[in-house]
Amino acid sequence: MSFLNIDSVKERTYDAIVVGSGISGGWAAKELTGKGLRTLVLERGRDVKHITDYPTTMMQPWEFAHLGQLSKEYRDANPVASRCYANREDATHFFIKDAEHPYVQEKPFDWIRGYQVGGKSLMWARGTQRWSEYDFDGPARDGFAVDWPIRYADLAPWYSYVEKFAGISGNKDGIATLPDGEFLPPHEQSCVEKHFTDTMAKQYNGTRPVIIGRCAHLTKPQPIHYQQGRAQCQNRSICQRGCPYGGYFSSNASTLPWAAKTGKMSLRPDSVVHSIIFDEKLGKATGVRVVDAHTKEMTEYYAKIIFVNAACLNTNLILLNSKSNRFQNGLGNDNGLLGKYVAFHNFRTTISAEHEGFQDTTTEGIRPNGSYIPRFRNVVKQETDFLRGYAAGFGSSRATSVDTSAMGEDLKSSLMQPKYGNWRVSSHMMGETIPKESNYVALDSALTDAWGIPQLKISVAYDDNDEKMIVDFHEQMSEMLTVAGFKNIQTHDKPDKAPGLDIHEMGGVRMGKDPKTSLLNKWNQLHACKNVFVTDGACMTSTSTQNPSLTFMAITARAADHAVKELRKGLL
Amino acid sequence: MQRRSLLKNLALTVGGLVSLPAWATGWSPDSLGAVSTLAPDDETLLGEIVETFIPETTTPGAKSLKIHQFAMRMIRDCYDQTAQATLQQGLALTEATAGQTINKSFGSGNAAERMAILTSLSASADSAGKAFVDLIKRLTIQGYMNSEFYLVNVEKFNMAPGFYHGCVPVAKLAVTGGK
Repeated sequence: MSFLNIDSVKERTYDAIVVGSGISGGWAAKELTGKGLRTLVLERGRDVKHITDYPTTMMQPWEFAHLGQLSKEYRDANPVASRCYANREDATHFFIKDAEHPYVQEKPFDWIRGYQVGGKSLMWARGTQRWSEYDFDGPARDGFAVDWPIRYADLAPWYSYVEKFAGISGNKDGIATLPDGEFLPPHEQSCVEKHFTDTMAKQYNGTRPVIIGRCAHLTKPQPIHYQQGRAQCQNRSICQRGCPYGGYFSSNASTLPWAAKTGKMSLRPDSVVHSIIFDEKLGKATGVRVVDAHTKEMTEYYAKIIFVNAACLNTNLILLNSKSNRFQNGLGNDNGLLGKYVAFHNFRTTISAEHEGFQDTTTEGIRPNGSYIPRFRNVVKQETDFLRGYAAGFGSSRATSVDTSAMGEDLKSSLMQPKYGNWRVSSHMMGETIPKESNYVALDSALTDAWGIPQLKISVAYDDNDEKMIVDFHEQMSEMLTVAGFKNIQTHDKPDKAPGLDIHEMGGVRMGKDPKTSLLNKWNQLHACKNVFVTDGACMTSTSTQNPSLTFMAITARAADHAVKELRKGLL
Repeated sequence: MQRRSLLKNLALTVGGLVSLPAWATGWSPDSLGAVSTLAPDDETLLGEIVETFIPETTTPGAKSLKIHQFAMRMIRDCYDQTAQATLQQGLALTEATAGQTINKSFGSGNAAERMAILTSLSASADSAGKAFVDLIKRLTIQGYMNSEFYLVNVEKFNMAPGFYHGCVPVAKLAVTGGK
């Protein structure tokens, strides 16, 4: 951009650039500004200010014209976004419109996106479990993907660090497969969940623990949370609207305002990152090219280090689109593996059942959480004909029912006196999928989006391992539920449910020890371009079964710490 | 409207950091807007039909809670074209059946006569009649059980309970009226 004068370049130069303001980008912003770096945070979507921009957050259920349902017009226009469980009438403004952000589905993949400041941290499901040694060991032990370059011990202190700030509720369960964290008080299990926990403990000698979920809710805020302007979770469980109390963790409520308070952050919404600029003489990245979301004008911004936190698949897209003479197939892509080994969590199936006992009990209040079954399959050794295993959510409620067969006053009196039915439970599988070269994303060779950026072509599918795991989940859970006295056990596999709706896509820019077989080193630096860091889902070598966001947070804080130390040593 | 006071409490909770956004006072019960997919006579008839399903007693019936407006809105916005046709045909069928069986308009019939008409429509050979009764009955129940009246008074709905107890005696809830 030789026509620009020096002052203009200076105005567009920062110490650090963070691409994306979601869960991991927010953490990068907080850490880098907290360590004194002047940081530009680029967000492709609109600004969403905490509280002010949560227009539905205080609405009562009856205030919604369609009681929460999506209109036919909306569903027809947005088939992909409409399939997301969190996208209801109260939250459509936090989901992108399908037509505005096209992509190519070489195989069916529901790509769920939230383009705004805060990204999907506004609508996430807030489950936060640590990985354990058994998870990091997976690829090496079972011979898939590549060995993780880090282990649990590397990340443990960073888990603690992010948990204290974010606020994670949970019980210290002392389970090797799911290490305890820095917990705020746990939510309660229901009577039936406790019964299931107790029965499983006896039946399986402690090898199949069932615990209360660990989640990013302020069950008892600490001073650090009040300092963020957050307050106790009010148990509303309408989190996808944005929480005016900051009761759950989001970038908007937590990391971004914290970064802003340092005075070091420049947050620039409506800034679509086109690519990263690589300087061949310097042998490193010097900045990013940004297309204004509205004017479509391109501007360059410069920095010493760049954190790419655009969310897994968009991080892949940006790197693939960062072509230069040195990197003709995408930044850092010397081995041709960029965009490959994408994996996800298999959320295709659920199981439900009823219990005829505990008739004199029910629940009171609202719980934005459920119980959780950590992975128990193939943990210590391989024991099935498929690799790895699954975790599962486990929820319960005391159903109420009304007889609707009559009409008139009989119907009305039935409606006015709901009767308690049986306890009902439901469990959803969260299966580890094995990263494969054939599950990949790439740039489409012809199609571009409205900003002149190539469309992403997604080719990700289930495989035989996933199918076997579903069968095993059905068998094991049926056995477990039967042992615990549940009746009417029903499995609900949905083979048509495409990957993507788990919103746990990971990989494509995986970490590893060897530059020949991975893109990132153990500090999340591109092997071939050390001042570019990738710390969102794209960096994941394998997926394990935990909800991944907490791990992204910890990895981001760890990488940011390393980045600043290296910068101070003059090494970046 | 409780929203403003809720938000004032919120502002206090988090130490007065919060200024009230514009939406805090923006909502009113009428802001959902009237639906006008039916001619006035037809809308009146639909009001009588939903009232027949759930009549006014010592507590509000479906008509005074504007459940017919809810049904029209849902059919217009969330259902496909066939539902709109089912609605139109069903209203005509209802009035025609009233003429044949009670020699007066549906709205002039007493509760028993109206219920008999809807029951006969539901059982008639013409599948349009049953489709209509099923559709409107389902929407009437859905709308009624999600109305402010029902959620507040029957469900004891509390938007922000601030707690969850996993195992409480049913008998205790019956006493406290909690939920």
